[in-house]
Amino acid sequence: MPHFEGLLGDEPRIIILDIGSAYTKCGLAGDTGPRCIIPSETKNPRNQQTSKIWDYSSTDELYEHLKELLYTLISRYLLVTPKDRRVVVIESLLCPTDFRDTLARVLFKHFEVASILFAPSHLLSLMTLGTKTGLVLDVGYQESFVVPVYEGIPILKGWRTIPLASKAIHSRIKSQLLEHGTVSTPEQKHQPVASMPDILTDELLEDIKVCCCFVTEYSRGQQIQEVTMRGGHANKLPPPPPDTDYQIDGGSVLNISGRIREHTCEVLFEQDNDETSIATLLMDAIVACPIDTRKDLASNILVTGGTSMMPGFYHRLQLELSHLLKKPCYAQQLGIKRFLFHKAPAKENYTAWLGGALLGALETLPSKSLSRDVYLQKGKLPDWCCIDSDFLLEDKNSKS
Amino acid sequence: MATFATVDLVKYLCTCEKKFPICRLYLCKHCLKLRCIDCVQHEVDTPYCPNCLEIMPAQEAKLKKNRCSNCFDCPVCGHTLMTRASGHISPNPEDPNKSVTKKTYYLACGFCRWNTRDINMLDQTVATGNWPMLENPHVKRINNLLENYKLMAQVEKADRERKKYVKRRSHLYLQDKFNLSPSVMKRKGLSSFSSLSLKEGDKTIEDLEPSVPVESFDPLPNDYYTQPAALEKTTKLVHRLSVPEFQPEDVSKLHPINKHLIMKKSLRCRECEHNLSKSDFNPCSIKFKIQLTALHWVPEVRIMTPSTFTYNKETLVTLTMSNPSVFNTTVTLSQIENETDVDYCTAKVELPKKELVLASRDEPSMHVYEDSSQAHEFKDDPKLIVFRKGNKIGFVVKVTPVVPQGDVKICFLLKHEFRNTTVAALQSESKEPEIKWLEHKVYLCLGTI
Ligand SMILES: [Zn+2]
Ligand SMILES: [Zn+2]
Ligand SMILES: [Zn+2]
Ligand SMILES: [Zn+2]
Repeated sequence: MPHFEGLLGDEPRIIILDIGSAYTKCGLAGDTGPRCIIPSETKNPRNQQTSKIWDYSSTDELYEHLKELLYTLISRYLLVTPKDRRVVVIESLLCPTDFRDTLARVLFKHFEVASILFAPSHLLSLMTLGTKTGLVLDVGYQESFVVPVYEGIPILKGWRTIPLASKAIHSRIKSQLLEHGTVSTPEQKHQPVASMPDILTDELLEDIKVCCCFVTEYSRGQQIQEVTMRGGHANKLPPPPPDTDYQIDGGSVLNISGRIREHTCEVLFEQDNDETSIATLLMDAIVACPIDTRKDLASNILVTGGTSMMPGFYHRLQLELSHLLKKPCYAQQLGIKRFLFHKAPAKENYTAWLGGALLGALETLPSKSLSRDVYLQKGKLPDWCCIDSDFLLEDKNSKS
Repeated sequence: MATFATVDLVKYLCTCEKKFPICRLYLCKHCLKLRCIDCVQHEVDTPYCPNCLEIMPAQEAKLKKNRCSNCFDCPVCGHTLMTRASGHISPNPEDPNKSVTKKTYYLACGFCRWNTRDINMLDQTVATGNWPMLENPHVKRINNLLENYKLMAQVEKADRERKKYVKRRSHLYLQDKFNLSPSVMKRKGLSSFSSLSLKEGDKTIEDLEPSVPVESFDPLPNDYYTQPAALEKTTKLVHRLSVPEFQPEDVSKLHPINKHLIMKKSLRCRECEHNLSKSDFNPCSIKFKIQLTALHWVPEVRIMTPSTFTYNKETLVTLTMSNPSVFNTTVTLSQIENETDVDYCTAKVELPKKELVLASRDEPSMHVYEDSSQAHEFKDDPKLIVFRKGNKIGFVVKVTPVVPQGDVKICFLLKHEFRNTTVAALQSESKEPEIKWLEHKVYLCLGTI
């Protein structure tokens, strides 16, 4: 009821949208948390097939799926009329252009929103701390992505990404289960999982990760890697934690071995042939930054992304970093002695969203946003995602 | 029988060039054009609780974040929680020899047996309205941040007004330092953000306490290494994500969830902004104040019986057409010129050349009509009109597939009379509603060869 809201003299609140590769966070500006966190997928009501938003083969397909997803968000969770509302879209600095273009098309043309501001997630995350300088690590679904931000500006030379995140953990669980997992059905005990691979759905793998797995402690991790990565004898492994019986549908029980519980998250910290892990990602990012910024960056680390909520993650990351610091290659170059971590006033999986909710509540938002008028006039998004004032001046001239 | 079960076999072309079954289209009576779900505006009408059916005014719904204060969902299975009363016998404070029965209330799930006593939530002395709410532990901090950013935004706005065309010097310095060419900054949309970070020179920001970083974290409790994962004590991810600000990992931290409101929505024509569908205000009512579904205004074509087709051979197909209007309606069918797209047209079709007259829809007498008398009344050609019953006719078209295999699809242009019976239209001078001719493209999938 837009007229109603107008009468009572308060502006319709801005929609804050973060379509992540696994989960979509959506809510309204000024709130302390998103209204919902739902999978970034749509379900066809006729055949119940789900389509993941980011697995698109054409922008037309993406357009339809985004339309569905946004419709669900707006009509089931936000209960607002989208027309003439402002929107803040939180996006990764790696967001492909065709995705951004299509999202803008859906929002402007189908939902007729008043304006969009595309805001980079790393900068928004930092906003939740009230600081301008920090090393922001986002451990999400597809990849881990670190961006050093100094005085509010991302240092391009310092960006680093690595495809180690949730997805890598899921596929590690899957391959381990296929290799030596067993499942007991009511008919037959201890069958190999490999004989019924269909039970390993994405949802199941995710739930096993969330409920059974953890990031082990540093020295145990080193022992495990000695065996699994560098061919050490299996008797060097630390005694594994007990197995867990995981109930699946139909009365079957999946045996999650202690090794799976403890070893899978090692994928984030294993230094393979290129010697890269999440920890080295951070180190290399700092090394790439100007020398007088390094101390500030190392003492202002902010970790975001749902995967960093795994039990034991922070403890391990901190120890990994301090051990790396002792390595000659880093010790000489870096000239820093310690790392300090911030905790945002939010859960890691919606930190960037909270930054968007802060930004969206400010009166400067309109001047930074791309308005529908300008979009329709230009017919497409400008090459850059936020608008400078000169772009807006053009808008004003054309109106007057 | 044809399209009752599979509505997708007969589609009408919407004004926006998408094809939909007629039951999913609207007819805007002001533009006289078909509208589909994609070319209408959706609006929030009245939010209400799906459990207690209480309407919540938009302002209140906003404050309560679209949640009902009195109804709760089970945090485990999502079922609606029930309020249970239990009696306690306690000594009467006035007369120690007597005792009184005090009633207390708790919430319980009738489906999975979860209840508020499981999480050691205290029973309440009143049945509704007093259940404790969870509060985000960071509220204060977030509000502090927000106030600071708001002050800075004010400064920034004033700044911009003052020196619209002067470039910020500090900005240029940083660009130099990090080798950022202005074009890179622009492309990534970074320049307009730098101004949002706190500046030391600014006077407005000093009351914000800086975020305090930590150097080390506690190791995991030993249980992780010595116990199996406590699945019965651990929440699933869906449970956590259903309360984003809390995301409890421990089952004992689950809390009743205030029921989310749902809404009645109304639809509006994008072109003329008139309502196409508006439901009754009352949540219990399933009626509409305005409902311009095309089914009520446009003759509906259906396929009578399935037929078998052979390549290049003519087959007679019986289609039915029914009239939703309370007036007799004249309809003509014609070929769509230059429809060459084989996706929608794989057969030649010979349509009735004469006008078809559909009898008015007259609910009370719908089942009393006799075929013969009616056929006589309308002087039907029995070769063309196979039957006539009430507002419905069955008519024959000749279909010749032009593809050797696959679906047999035909299309035609349906023109029909339309009488606008809205009050406004009726009030204009003449009593008889004005007759307009509308035309729609109809696409049918008749079967396979
Ligand atoms: Zn349409
Ligand atoms: Zn209720
Ligand atoms: Zn329940
Ligand atoms: Zn209209």
